[in-house]
Amino acid sequence: MIQPQTHLNVADNSRARELMCIRVIGASNRRYAHIGDVIVAVIKEAVPNTPLERSEVITAVIISTRKELKRDNGMIIRYDDNAAVVIDQEGNPKGTQIFGAIARELRQLNFTKIVSLAPEVL
Amino acid sequence: MISDIVNVIFCLGNCVLLVNLRRMRLEKCWFCSSTVYPGHGIQFVRNDAKIFRFCRSKCHKNFKMKRNPRKVKWTKAYRRLHRKDMTQDSTFEFERKRNRPERYDRNLAENTLKAIKKIDKIRSDRASDHIKNRLKTGKVQRQKEARKQLELGIHLVKAPLALDKIHLFVFQKSKSMCPKHRQKRISPWKTEIASAVPRLGIFVHQNLMHATRGLSYQEVFYVVSSGPEF
Repeated sequence: MIQPQTHLNVADNSRARELMCIRVIGASNRRYAHIGDVIVAVIKEAVPNTPLERSEVITAVIISTRKELKRDNGMIIRYDDNAAVVIDQEGNPKGTQIFGAIARELRQLNFTKIVSLAPEVL
Repeated sequence: MISDIVNVIFCLGNCVLLVNLRRMRLEKCWFCSSTVYPGHGIQFVRNDAKIFRFCRSKCHKNFKMKRNPRKVKWTKAYRRLHRKDMTQDSTFEFERKRNRPERYDRNLAENTLKAIKKIDKIRSDRASDHIKNRLKTGKVQRQKEARKQLELGIHLVKAPLALDKIHLFVFQKSKSMCPKHRQKRISPWKTEIASAVPRLGIFVHQNLMHATRGLSYQEVFYVVSSGPEF
């Protein structure tokens, strides 16, 4: 349940460290974002001397949330933190490595590049 | 064993659905070690990608409280650690986790199902035997203590000869309101019993029936049984 002002960790090596959600993409009054949703975020903390800087506005896709993800087969998955992967407008990740286990839902949402880079898919 | 991913195509009228059926696996709860069936419990993924599966919110909450299952008495981990339950047995070898999916073979599946049933029975029999053996020493100890207590406290128990004569009195409620006559003692009906107290209950009951024969429940006031000092 990510909403504007939510801080998220960055789960790839795109040189941003922490993001703050500004907007949930999908509908005009959409309140919360879950795993697999795209958000507009501002970089709150970045690795110095890299292309991505602090207070830069980027889009990201949410990889993991502390709020449980419920599946149709009754499986409920909860992560330890809220994390996102920085993407461009087409949905391709900006980084080259993904850290952490990725939920299978991302594959159905056509984030295939992210899923292929992930070390583990749950 | 069914193969890993089975693609099943359902035709529902005009609609064609392509469904991926994952293989179903019975997991163990991380906290209490009971089986987690599909549709139950929560899986928690830590940042190092380690997955903790819980069978119910009780275990999940205990985990969040950072309790160590080896110290929580009702978990399997504690019981195995403190040797309350069986730890080593050949039947445990059958339940190893296997990551290689087997090609489906009807005979194999049938035999496996039969074997599961049998092995389960053997394992549970052995486990209950283990617990029985564990509790045996306590039982012997308690009997020893009881015997000792009887020896020391025999003066508190009535002499068997005194117990031989038990008197049963049945009092009939008198219809008159006069307090003096309110209780009328029916012919005191004594009974003597030769042997010990344990059988007293049944014996009294039968004789009560004799003594109160012909009386309705309203008429019987109370029945007293006592020793010779009555």
